[in-house]
Amino acid sequence: MAGLRRDVVAWLIVGPFAIVLAFPFYWMLVTALKTDADLYNVESIPYKFSSGSPTTNNFEFLFRDTEYGRWLVNTAIIGIAVVAITLVLAVPAGYALARLSGGVGQMLGIGIFLTYLVPPTLLFLPLSRVVSEIGLQDRLLALIVVYPSFTVPFSTWLLMGFFKTIPRELEDAALIDGASRLGALARVVFPISLPGILTVVIFSFSLVVNEFVYAITFISTSSHRTISAGVPTELIRGDVFFWGALMAAALIPSIPLALLYNLFLDRFIAGFTGGAFR
Amino acid sequence: MLEERRFLAAVLIGPAVIFIAVLVGGPLLLAIYLSLTDATAGSLHGDFVGLRNFTEAWDSPIFRRALRNTILFTVVSQAIVLLVAGTLAHALAKPFRGRWFLRFLILLPWAAPIALGTIGFLWIFDSLFSVVNWTLVHDVLPGPLEFKPYKAVNWVFARPVLPDWLEIKPIDPVAPPQWLGQSTLAMAAIIFVHSWRIIPFATVIFLAGLSSIPAEVDDAAKVDGATGLKKFWYVTLPLQLPIATVALLFGIVFTATDMTVVYILTHGGPFNSTHMLTSWAFDTGINSAALGQGAAISLYLLPVLVLVAVLMLRFARRVEVS
Amino acid sequence: MDDKERVQITADMDELTRRDLLRRAGLGAIVLVYGGAGVKNAVAGVPKFRHKELAGTLKIMQWSHFVPSYDKWFDNEYIKAWGEKNDTEVTVDHVNLAELPTRAASEVAAQSGHDLFQFLSPPSAYEDQVVAMNDIVQEVTRKIGKMGKVGLKSTYNPRTKKFYGFPDNYVPDPVHYRRDLWGEVGAGAPNSWEAVRQAAPKLKALGRPVGIGMSQELDSNMAMLALMQCYGGYIQNADQRVVINSKGTRQALSAMRDIYKRGMTTEVFAWTAASNNNAYIAGRLSLALNAISIARVLEGPPWVTTPQRTDLMQNTWIAPIPRGPAQRLGLEHVMGIYVIWKFSKNKQAAKRFLVDMQTRYGPHFTNSGFYNFPAWPGGVKGGFKTIRRAAAKDRFKPLGKYTILTTIAEKYTANVGHPGYSNAAIDEVFNKFLIPQMFAEVAQDKMTPDEAVRAAEREIKSIFAKWRRRKKL
Repeated sequence: MAGLRRDVVAWLIVGPFAIVLAFPFYWMLVTALKTDADLYNVESIPYKFSSGSPTTNNFEFLFRDTEYGRWLVNTAIIGIAVVAITLVLAVPAGYALARLSGGVGQMLGIGIFLTYLVPPTLLFLPLSRVVSEIGLQDRLLALIVVYPSFTVPFSTWLLMGFFKTIPRELEDAALIDGASRLGALARVVFPISLPGILTVVIFSFSLVVNEFVYAITFISTSSHRTISAGVPTELIRGDVFFWGALMAAALIPSIPLALLYNLFLDRFIAGFTGGAFR
Repeated sequence: MLEERRFLAAVLIGPAVIFIAVLVGGPLLLAIYLSLTDATAGSLHGDFVGLRNFTEAWDSPIFRRALRNTILFTVVSQAIVLLVAGTLAHALAKPFRGRWFLRFLILLPWAAPIALGTIGFLWIFDSLFSVVNWTLVHDVLPGPLEFKPYKAVNWVFARPVLPDWLEIKPIDPVAPPQWLGQSTLAMAAIIFVHSWRIIPFATVIFLAGLSSIPAEVDDAAKVDGATGLKKFWYVTLPLQLPIATVALLFGIVFTATDMTVVYILTHGGPFNSTHMLTSWAFDTGINSAALGQGAAISLYLLPVLVLVAVLMLRFARRVEVS
Repeated sequence: MDDKERVQITADMDELTRRDLLRRAGLGAIVLVYGGAGVKNAVAGVPKFRHKELAGTLKIMQWSHFVPSYDKWFDNEYIKAWGEKNDTEVTVDHVNLAELPTRAASEVAAQSGHDLFQFLSPPSAYEDQVVAMNDIVQEVTRKIGKMGKVGLKSTYNPRTKKFYGFPDNYVPDPVHYRRDLWGEVGAGAPNSWEAVRQAAPKLKALGRPVGIGMSQELDSNMAMLALMQCYGGYIQNADQRVVINSKGTRQALSAMRDIYKRGMTTEVFAWTAASNNNAYIAGRLSLALNAISIARVLEGPPWVTTPQRTDLMQNTWIAPIPRGPAQRLGLEHVMGIYVIWKFSKNKQAAKRFLVDMQTRYGPHFTNSGFYNFPAWPGGVKGGFKTIRRAAAKDRFKPLGKYTILTTIAEKYTANVGHPGYSNAAIDEVFNKFLIPQMFAEVAQDKMTPDEAVRAAEREIKSIFAKWRRRKKL
């Protein structure tokens, strides 16, 4: 009975927030399934379907008459590549800052963080010059090269925190066992810091998918676009908004990503409560 | 040689630092240079004008409003985020039936690309087809019983005496509130969207913090007889402070430096009253091609954020439990 | 699609008409056409459109036209045909109207990008980044006659004597109104602003308010500026001096406040560029100031894929901007102006493209559903006479409404910055929505007309001073 009471209390607290947070997505779904006749009719009840709804027209339009499918693929490619680069740069840096440095390390830590305070709306013009100088204008590679500039600081910071919570005794034990420092890193520390690494993966990927300004400025060919850039530019023509398709476009990446994050979340929390502490 | 501490440190940190220096530091210096010139139209050169861009920017009442809004939106939205995320994390920390599903719902706002999510809100707050307005002025109960939410809202807001500047008027079913057309409502809408998208992010960070409290501390608290609220105040809260600071810090940064939400939702309107520094800088530097001035406006953000960041980092380090 | 049809299509490539396009709507069909042509040619042996190594390349950046079929035609038929004839590979990228300034700035910063860049408003601030168009302007004038006034005042800098842009087309901004409703309240037509002021409360009482935006978006900018003009208020005079503080401006502010309070609802402060379209098409508005996108959407296919709204369509009339005490004068809704960046690698081909397009503008006019009016009236052979006749032939009821559109384009459309030339300062005032801001503040009783005008004047004067210092005015 205590279990049931706990469940009910949890639902009572979390439920209302969950409803408010998720309502827009319910609304996106309803809108995406409506025909234009139903949608732009002041008389119709928004929560009900009529005049030909529900319909898959908007989804079909999205995949058939725009390059949305392409954009999804592009975004995925960029996301994976950037996450890889981020891990390669941030994991060693985070470890070093957590373990190996003194005052300089502290300052560097703060310094790396301060890079966030410069908004991309300020940086994108000089960066566009850099991108064109290295010949990457209009290529996915441009984004793959530039995006780590805002995923690495945060990831380094996060990993620094994680690595700090891993007791030195573990590494020292491995060292005593004859492993080199690098070996100690690989064999002992990384497995335990998996939750931290997973967090970095989640956040870096989400930062990449969200990014808008660079995606708009560096890429102009429709087939090279990401979803963040392609949707507002091609589903809004002059003064006509294709609302049904816009909502479908917003919904499609959100659901799988949320599922993915939820999955990672479990692992990463499990990693915390399990592991070296028991 | 790899054992040499400092060398190893340099090798490990080096690549990240170089990367950031090239892709952020360099452009930042260029942006600072631009703010001191009269560069226009995307050109990366201009004649040196000293601090004139900064003083001219300050002269515009719209700029001062944007500065005020940046601080206001950030503070209010992050306060909301802290409260909500803290509560949610606490409730979600221990497993219960259906937790996975609720967590999925809560993660959705962070999963949606910000530009697309905001376009969703543009539709939700639409001047004619807003579902919020429809729900307020129509009968939401099926069957013979009638209940129109706007009546309840009007009743609630009629009791207290509210200050004039809040502009709270009773809802008129024929002309329902324009969420993006009235200053205070528009500001509320923007704050809401900012909080909406940061809450999942902060909740995850808080969850991490909560679950990193070692079991020994938990057991010790139990032994000492500290449970429920006492435990929360004396044990959980202090231990959460460093992680809360991190969440707050990133929340502040992501909100204050964001242009997308304001730009898409209101484009600074109505009558240029909801601009933030970022959107105003964009309108000035890019849309109006006064690049140097746009850079100057953006740079006003920097000292404020640096100050906040340094203060909070100091605070976090002091509070850190060794 | 059989061989006979394929031959017919290939033969028709040089004379594209709206009819052909509509029958083959959809990219799939376009692919089939080229695939089919390829097959046929492989068999017949004489390549007409075989992809061969073309000598040059030309990259164009353009907005996503509100009429999707225009883009499809332009991208897949027009530029390919021109490319073949001129031994150039032409590619075009599209971007949303709102994104154009961002792309432009980044291409200038990067010093690389497209050869031809289309702006939808006078790109005066970019004068130093672009090639002068004086030579081809002269060439086109020699071939087809004088440029329209709107084009001239939007692309010429009288101080440097440089044509910084090549005006391609402009879009007139009519009034759409519900004839049935206006008749119901005994008001006739919105012939003057005074008539609008009288009719608005009656229409609002019917639940069909008037809809003139005061939001931070394009339609509101145009509407408020045009209203001001009709009352004799201007941002600048012919010598580019700020004259906004005038009786005309104050009168316009008071008039608008009155119209709003008695005949409109708060929604007009929250509009996006699409909102007045949606509101009108939903049957809610009795009057809207907007380009003909509203009328075309009501007509349904072939311009849009949504079905026709016959009732609404037949009751919708087009009219010029209402007359004010000073004059009847409106503004262009958008103005298509091409620039050639200084860093372009193929300036010759770019210039050739522009000349060829403008001198045979007919197909562009028809394929855009009369949205694009040529900057040189002679771009369509016979000038406005031919244009009027073509517009009159439009088959959607009420018949003849596009003839009025022609009159508006001919007589009642001025450039942004009238009576002066468009310049960077005007552009900034425009992009910061300072005029709708002024009107909105007065309408919502946040300021008196006097205060609002003074505040706007201060801001506008400082903007003008800034650009004057940069020697752009």
